Amino acid sequence: MMKNVQLYSFLLFIVLIVSWEITAGNMSELVLPAPSVIFFTLIDGIKSGYFLPHITRTAAEIVLGLFLGSLFGFVIGLLMGEIEFLRKLLFPYVIASQAVPKLALAPLFILWFGFGMTSKVVITALICFFPLLENTVTSIQYMDKQKIELFRMLKASRWQTLIHLKIPAGMPGILAGLRVAVVLAVVGAVVGEFIGGSEGLGAVIIASQAMMDTPLMFASLLLLTIMGMGLYQLVNIIEKIWLKPYKKGSKK
Amino acid sequence: MSFLSIEDVSFRYQGKNAVINQANWEIEKGEFHCLLGKSGCGKTTLLKIASGLLPPNEGRVYLQGKELTEPSHECGFVFQSPALLEWKTVMDNVLLPVVLRRKTTPEDREKAVALLELVGLCDYLNRHPAQLSGGQQSRVALARALIQKPSMMFLDEPFASLDAITREELQEDLLKICQLEGTTVLFITHDISEAVYLADRVAVMEQGEIIYEADVNLLKPRTVEMRYDPNFNELCLKVRQVMGGGV
Repeated sequence: MMKNVQLYSFLLFIVLIVSWEITAGNMSELVLPAPSVIFFTLIDGIKSGYFLPHITRTAAEIVLGLFLGSLFGFVIGLLMGEIEFLRKLLFPYVIASQAVPKLALAPLFILWFGFGMTSKVVITALICFFPLLENTVTSIQYMDKQKIELFRMLKASRWQTLIHLKIPAGMPGILAGLRVAVVLAVVGAVVGEFIGGSEGLGAVIIASQAMMDTPLMFASLLLLTIMGMGLYQLVNIIEKIWLKPYKKGSKK
Repeated sequence: MSFLSIEDVSFRYQGKNAVINQANWEIEKGEFHCLLGKSGCGKTTLLKIASGLLPPNEGRVYLQGKELTEPSHECGFVFQSPALLEWKTVMDNVLLPVVLRRKTTPEDREKAVALLELVGLCDYLNRHPAQLSGGQQSRVALARALIQKPSMMFLDEPFASLDAITREELQEDLLKICQLEGTTVLFITHDISEAVYLADRVAVMEQGEIIYEADVNLLKPRTVEMRYDPNFNELCLKVRQVMGGGV
């Protein structure tokens, strides 16, 4: 049954592509380019090396921003989860900052950090920071009471309890935060490039808009989608490997 | 001097009635004591106080003559739930108490294997807890409590969620191991026959007070047949009557 569903899902994809191709045949390329046109634009762009610097740039921004944002989110989440004073002190600000549309800060960061890569990395990091922070704080706070008592009985230090119990026990929640962050990272980097920059796939999209080169726009979009999906899958794989023992009934 | 002595211990949560009221209890070295009581009678609280997890409001607890103010490495504790760490293998779960104190040695691993063999789990060393049945998980928890060769064991209804046959097997294992090591045990349960079967001495607790104590004069080692012995049933009935509820 499950196999069949996968097959249907693939068939649906084929149907969508074919009907797109047919519809696009009656339309101007400027409005809706056919999949075949997009595909050839993409291949040409990759062959000529046009896309390469843009891909590397965007990928670098995403990875760096994701790494920095997640790392800070995780560490500060740990501190806030562990130290009640810090949690009570900072939590109102965390909640308040949730209401700030972080992408709306992008122009400000361009102003502060310039048109180069730094501003995009900062935007991406900021947007990845919050899901990690929130999930880490909540994940390490709500522990099984008996496990906490076990660690007290074994005279574990606070640090040992954190390392051996709270972080591994909170891992499912923390990784769920990372999954959200990955998706947001792509958005962060692209929006940053929209606003200011001459390199990166976001900049290519803006440039293709100016040149009215719709196939190029779609090709960049496709590349971004592939990058996002790749990262998402990567997190999925990490999650699967890491969380395998947590799942009930998993076989060795 | 008793091995463990609880002296005039009282405990109350802030602004509430006493959970434990002036409890006194003595356990001699190598003895197996069971504390019986209905849910909410304060028996788990008393166990936590006795093991140093919870400081009493009044009174003192002495372990081998020394006042106990915090958990001791001399003591092992088995909780109501197995409380295993899902991300660690059976082997690593058993070794946890050691890992938290120092680097593990090959001898530690040998000891863990020996303990797991004792509870019949030597084929499951590299499994994770989620792959085990409830009974097997309880066995791992038991092995974990025993890895540091505790001289005193505290058990809080460890077998309550198991089926009758598995529970009997685990009771046998527990008795066997404690006899082997000469461990002193304080075991909490709400199951009368479990208490009578395991213990050298039983006590009944009600509303924070110990209302009944009795020695169990059954032969050791205990055997399955004893569970159907008239003597055994008589003792169970006596305890049952003390626990009330109209018999």
